[in-house]
Amino acid sequence: MINNSKLPGWMVVVLRILIGALFIYAGATKAITPLRFATDIANFHLLPWVAAMPLAFYLPWFEIVCGAALLLSRLHRGAIFILLTLTFVFILALTSARIRGIDISCGCFGHAARDLSFGSHLLLNVAVLAVLLFLWQAGFRRPRA
Amino acid sequence: MIREVGRQAVLLAGLALLPALAQALHLHDRISWQPPAADEVTVSRAKEWGDAVMWLDARPIDDFNSAHIPRALPLNTADWDSLLGPVLNSWSPARRIVVYCSRQSCDASREVARRLRDEAGLKNIYVLTGGWEAWQESGK
Repeated sequence: MINNSKLPGWMVVVLRILIGALFIYAGATKAITPLRFATDIANFHLLPWVAAMPLAFYLPWFEIVCGAALLLSRLHRGAIFILLTLTFVFILALTSARIRGIDISCGCFGHAARDLSFGSHLLLNVAVLAVLLFLWQAGFRRPRA
Repeated sequence: MIREVGRQAVLLAGLALLPALAQALHLHDRISWQPPAADEVTVSRAKEWGDAVMWLDARPIDDFNSAHIPRALPLNTADWDSLLGPVLNSWSPARRIVVYCSRQSCDASREVARRLRDEAGLKNIYVLTGGWEAWQESGK
């Protein structure tokens, strides 16, 4: 991954590995309990069960594959784009649930983070979004002449 | 650049489809693809109820003897008449009954829950989502 940011290259590598590992962990915690994750998705009242179940099988692996791509620095541009989109959707869904008065765990990190408050979940997702945006920029901005 | 990102994204989406499909096929007969019924309760929710739960094991008695949820009582349709007595002796209106069988796709827990409602007239009866299998997974 080319580093076009002002930060040292090692820092970009560390952030890339951290985010990659985070999404592999987040995906794995959900992949081992698809039924529980389907319930988490259905609890948002945004999708019917018939959509929540297939999504509960697919989404964790999507995160694992994209996390692995970041970790290995392969197909990383596509991976960052996907993870940016997913994280943005997570934040929207979480905020929407809060506005509608639904008190739920976002399920973003399976039930490992079930005790986190709405604010902590949101903060975590916003922090991840910020790092992904930085990695996106670091990989694409043209080098200064 | 956009084309490259799009190509990579499609490739990653396709790669993720393979393990997801494999897992779905592997679990298809152990997971209900129907939405959970209103009387279903997840392991984590039932655990939150603590001592207010009365666990009933609807699996065959050999399975119960092999292993069961702590403090659970056996109650299956095959030995209904002999097992119902001890269940009713332990029951109190303040307790919630949670019935479980082997896995999500089994029907024994539903049948026991139905008979407890219809024949014994009990209320606050729930069926454990995922059954014994989900209980074991929750302890991993």
